Amino acid sequence: MPLFRVENLSYFYPDSKKPALQGINLEIGEGEFLLVTGGSGSGKSSLARAVAGLIPDFYGGKIGGRLYFKEQDIRFIDRRSLAQNIGIVFQDPEKQLVMTGVETEIAFGMENIALSQPEMLRRSAEVMSFFDLTDLKQEFTANLSGGQKQKVALASILAMQPSVLILDEPTSQLDPLAAEEILNLVKRLNEEMNITIILIEQRLERCFHLADRVAVMENGRIIKCATPEETAVWEVKNGYPFLPPVAAFFSHIEAQDIPLTIKTGRKLLHNIYRESNPYQVPAPASEQSDLNAKPRKADNKGDHSIRDCTRRKTDFTLFTIKEKYQLLFSKCRSRAGKISPETPVAQINKLWYTYPNGKEALRDIDFSITAGEFVAILGDNGSGKTTLLKQLAGLIGPGRGQITIMNNAIGNTPPQQLARLVGYLSQNPNDYLFHDTVEEELKFTQANLGQIDNGHIERLLRRLNLYPLSQVNPRDLSSGERQRVALGSVLAASPRLLLLDEPTRGLDQRMKADLNNLLQDLLQTGVAIILVTHDIEFANQGARRLVMLFDGRIACDGPRNEVLGSSMFYVPQIRRMFKGIDDEIFTLREAVARVRPLWAARLIAK
Amino acid sequence: MVKGFFTVRSWFFIIGSAGLLAFAAWLADVMVQPNWGMLSLAIITAILLFLYLSFEEGRVSAREIAVIAVLGALAAAGRVPLAAVPSVQPTTFLVIISGYIFGARAGFMVGSTAALASNLFLGQGPWTIWQMFAWGLAGFSAGLFRYILPNGGWRSMAAFQFGWGYIFGWIMNLWTWLAFIAPLTWQSLLATCAASFWFDSLHAAGNLIIYLLIGRGVAKALERAKRKLEFSYLQVENIAE
Amino acid sequence: MIDQFFYTEKGNFMQTLHPAASLTYIAVLLVLVLAFSHPLYLIGLMLSVVLAIWAAEGLKAWEGYMKLALGMAVLIMIINPLASSTGNTVLWLTPDLPGLGVLAITVESIFYGALMGLRLLIIVSIFCLYNQIIHPDRLLNLWPRFFRKSALVVSLATRLFPVMTASLHRIKEVQQLRGVDFQAGTLRQRWGKYLYMFNILLISSLEDSLEMAEAMQARAFGSGPRLRYRRDYFRPRDMLCLISCLLAAGIALYALFDGLGTYSFYSGWGDMPGGSSNLPIMAAILGGLSLPALLSWGAQHCHYLESRI
Repeated sequence: MPLFRVENLSYFYPDSKKPALQGINLEIGEGEFLLVTGGSGSGKSSLARAVAGLIPDFYGGKIGGRLYFKEQDIRFIDRRSLAQNIGIVFQDPEKQLVMTGVETEIAFGMENIALSQPEMLRRSAEVMSFFDLTDLKQEFTANLSGGQKQKVALASILAMQPSVLILDEPTSQLDPLAAEEILNLVKRLNEEMNITIILIEQRLERCFHLADRVAVMENGRIIKCATPEETAVWEVKNGYPFLPPVAAFFSHIEAQDIPLTIKTGRKLLHNIYRESNPYQVPAPASEQSDLNAKPRKADNKGDHSIRDCTRRKTDFTLFTIKEKYQLLFSKCRSRAGKISPETPVAQINKLWYTYPNGKEALRDIDFSITAGEFVAILGDNGSGKTTLLKQLAGLIGPGRGQITIMNNAIGNTPPQQLARLVGYLSQNPNDYLFHDTVEEELKFTQANLGQIDNGHIERLLRRLNLYPLSQVNPRDLSSGERQRVALGSVLAASPRLLLLDEPTRGLDQRMKADLNNLLQDLLQTGVAIILVTHDIEFANQGARRLVMLFDGRIACDGPRNEVLGSSMFYVPQIRRMFKGIDDEIFTLREAVARVRPLWAARLIAK
Repeated sequence: MVKGFFTVRSWFFIIGSAGLLAFAAWLADVMVQPNWGMLSLAIITAILLFLYLSFEEGRVSAREIAVIAVLGALAAAGRVPLAAVPSVQPTTFLVIISGYIFGARAGFMVGSTAALASNLFLGQGPWTIWQMFAWGLAGFSAGLFRYILPNGGWRSMAAFQFGWGYIFGWIMNLWTWLAFIAPLTWQSLLATCAASFWFDSLHAAGNLIIYLLIGRGVAKALERAKRKLEFSYLQVENIAE
Repeated sequence: MIDQFFYTEKGNFMQTLHPAASLTYIAVLLVLVLAFSHPLYLIGLMLSVVLAIWAAEGLKAWEGYMKLALGMAVLIMIINPLASSTGNTVLWLTPDLPGLGVLAITVESIFYGALMGLRLLIIVSIFCLYNQIIHPDRLLNLWPRFFRKSALVVSLATRLFPVMTASLHRIKEVQQLRGVDFQAGTLRQRWGKYLYMFNILLISSLEDSLEMAEAMQARAFGSGPRLRYRRDYFRPRDMLCLISCLLAAGIALYALFDGLGTYSFYSGWGDMPGGSSNLPIMAAILGGLSLPALLSWGAQHCHYLESRI
């Protein structure tokens, strides 16, 4: 007997003519771990809400079909026992907590189902120790970190002891460490407590292998629901991007059993490399795998090593693979050629900064960026990333040292003039939107800075795919579109330096790819980009140069491959899997291009 | 708003608050001169409790609670000046417009919550309960204002906003006058209000300017939120009633 | 940006009191300061409040409060003599003021004004004490069963307050980088720039409120009767404080009923009702009100006492 049975479920939101769900058929067994993925607006969240009984109870709208929980129509189960049996955790921890203290927050759900006093005490003690929240129990909830907030939200749900836990993108607003912690807890809940898990996610690196089944959604339909391995193969065949890099890689080379974790993947890779004909392995790779990356770093510096890298990479393409990759790399070479050693767009000399509360946030920073350069700044929370960004934007004056943007020293330059040179996209696109139409929103920045519109806004709208929406209220747009409007309103001033603070939060794979394309185009127009992010995969795709901040200092600054080559933790999954096996490989494309012929040769040999 | 007022609980409460008033009156009478400081405090407390009870007795959905809390928090945040930005305090303005759109009961909740919540951070004082009363009443009266003048137009609203700048000041003065000034004559009342005249005028003018600058935009946003409250077919009673 | 409660957790004895005990204490103090008008009683009250603030390690915060309240106290001291011309000892007659006539400034009215100023300072001190010893969270938790929805509204608004101030700060930065100069322009323009920010925050928060409501709904809010989770301890010290406060209040009531503790200012200079019979009663009241501070001192210096109460 399945726990959930969904029969032909369709649903429309009250103000919408487009179905959010259509013809969903699904069975979920007890103790199962179901991962639901898909692009933004594919209906994943609506499905989560329907299964939790919030649709249509909370939203209204039109509904068709049936949804049974334990063979009982979910719409006839009373709300209290529904909430007791099915818990749901949402995306944004900021919007789930309602009480002021951690302990009272955890008790909130239990209070609502009117548990007895001793029962509440027992359960809150239990969940607090399971989630390691005992030390925080007196804490004011508003002052917790994002990860802690999400943990409290999860604990509050679990105190009601549900048999099903639904998580709607629980990690999309968290940094990787906190995300990891939440997913580990979810895994334990599934494996040790036999709680049925329905996880909605689009960041799949850490959860794809945990699932028993993976469902892919599009346009309100489930288009595939099978084991992770099967889904991976199917997705690659049909061109869907909702895969973690490891699974995507092995699906691309058409391996029979798809390894889902780095560990099993490496095993297979070792076999492939060992069995393949050594003459087919290009020379630089074998040479490099013997060498530690570090000593090399001392020889090559700055521009030289960038050029060096690109050259070697182009050599490597000539050696091996298909035309489309050649195309890609030739494009990248021409871009590399454009980097001119002219005056830097931004330069930081011996910068120190201490906050009024005494916290020394930046120590001895030396940094410069030239036109057309794309630098990603990595580092954990509190490493000074955001402070550095604010310094560059001129939001806080430098303590000691000097920052110049296009030869304008920050501190002596009026903010208006600075705003013409520096664009800043904050984490929350909603902070930008208050006009009635998208077009006005973009024009606002220009008008403030006294710039004249020579068709720039129109070009921008077209490039951002917002032209058809230019007369729409930005608040009626989806989150991805909102972000493009926010970016547009920043780019309207034609800044020379673009600062991006965690721009990929909540974006799906396709939107990330779009954003990256857009940024690459901007680079070619001579804009310099500084990206602050936790999203290593995204940084890896776009940035040529990486800077690692630690405790307010620059711990490492160099070309992407060099930094990632020597790093152990700030590494994209593919690189991690190939480390020591083939140190030339950093991205999925490179990996596929390299291994596919080896794999084919192996098959032929067999 | 009056619905649900005749439950056992409310009678219990009404008797309780009448008792509180009687006690205060007796205490005042015991003294050589009537103790208005204490009496006024008791009356204010009773009115506040009464209005809170009217909120408790009505059916309120989670959505309404969230909207009221958000508006209360916003109004509270409006009290905090921001560095490098001219000091504008949109608290009274926001409370009034919330009451106007969402009704008297919600308006009261927004106003009193703003006072209570902000003082948890800025420091509680004898002013807390009077601010709760004054802002609560501002929101409440705005709800009644719409009920009485449904098609008042922006001019009447502007006058209402302006007027509340003074009324707020007078309410806050009332206690100073009652508790600390003797004798309680119109001259002494006038003197107390004269002392805060400039301050109140700034408040009134501020409300008016804020209303003229963003009144329409804010009202539109609130109307939009109100429509969303009504989306669900399982909607509970509209809080604007 | 404000992200801390005014209250700070210091872990001292006064802060461990059950909120019911500490609230009763505060309430008794407030009622007494409003009921008494006798200068000796008021001075005594002030002393016991300051003693309690000292026990709560809040003297520093108290200084800030006093600076704030002094302005108002001075105002009261000025208005009172102007408003009242009664009293036997006339110090100065003003010239004929338009609309007000000739005002007589008397010693009695100055004295009364000074005493009312003192009363204000005591009231402000009591609230200072309140801020030092009662955690907002525990207060909200004590909110009577009748007010569970309002308690939730207050609690949610309190949680959101720091979020809102931080958001305003963030939006200000974004606006600044979009070329908004908050210093430039006419007053009207400058206000407009600030209010735009406020409007952005309003729209965003209203959007978010739906998700908050959903999170409440998902945790069964409004699905029927609701119980409160209690987690405060009631220790012997709470009983002791409660009893001593209520005793003090009882004695004070008796005194008021007997005509002690009040002072009729304009009936003659130096006429103290009750005379020396005030002293034992006053001592009893103040002793009762000082017990929490004394217990705190005792607990600090004697571990045995601390572990017993």
